[in-house]
Amino acid sequence: MNKYMKSFLHRGLIFAGFGPIVVAIIYMILEKSIPDFSLSGTQIFLAVISTYILAFLQAGASVFNQIENWSVAKSLFCHFITIYSAYTLCYLLNNWIPFKPQILIIFTLIFAVLYFIIWAMVYFSIKAASKKMNKKLS
Amino acid sequence: MKLEIFIDKEKTEQVLIYAHKKTPLIEAIEQLINENQEIFLGIKDRETVRLNISEIYCFTVEENKIYAYTKSEKYQLKTRLYKVEERLGEDFVKINQSCIANIRKIERFDANYAGTLKVIFKNGHTDYVSRRNLRKVKERIGLYE
Repeated sequence: MNKYMKSFLHRGLIFAGFGPIVVAIIYMILEKSIPDFSLSGTQIFLAVISTYILAFLQAGASVFNQIENWSVAKSLFCHFITIYSAYTLCYLLNNWIPFKPQILIIFTLIFAVLYFIIWAMVYFSIKAASKKMNKKLS
Repeated sequence: MKLEIFIDKEKTEQVLIYAHKKTPLIEAIEQLINENQEIFLGIKDRETVRLNISEIYCFTVEENKIYAYTKSEKYQLKTRLYKVEERLGEDFVKINQSCIANIRKIERFDANYAGTLKVIFKNGHTDYVSRRNLRKVKERIGLYE
């Protein structure tokens, strides 16, 4: 097993547990705010399993960007596809979005725009920090 | 022989001698300095080499083994990273769970597309600063002074 695969598993397993915690918090908020809110055992089971997998993949996929012999385009593409596929499958599986072409297109557009905005915010804040640090080095 | 000592924490610690020829005094100074240098024993191609701390760019853990990177070589060390860390001075800082960097051998920092801070060493080797170690690295390079 190469070091990136190990790192993927390691990071994934560390953060996977946060998925079910987040879903539990959301369900608790929904229960407090929506009268007669209820879920079946199957719905809870699906939500817990899918958010566990989601968190696992989300954390593990960060390794893609550190594979030195991958181009930036390749690592970003693999990261985006992994996260997008995982989210789409989980949302469909849990009926959080209906399986309709128009809805899927809107979901994809929102996902892509948010992905890019978050990426740009993180990237440019780190770029600014690296500039400050480089000034101290020189 | 004229002797001048400059106390400056910003500079790399070094002894420079300008002499007309190598005398017993110079040899004695040379021996004394070599004896007092922090030395690590590195292994490459079954050969053990003495590595002066000042020539090491970083220590990394790869496949559960410790390596020291110099300008052009990579040597395996028979020790643990935390034991290495105990022996290091102010020039070294842990940049992530598996790498201790020599600040004086860092060429520059850059943003990684993964959203991490990339470290490019003067020998071309690269690594990254983890979020957990970022504050310590900033402190060590004097960003909060």
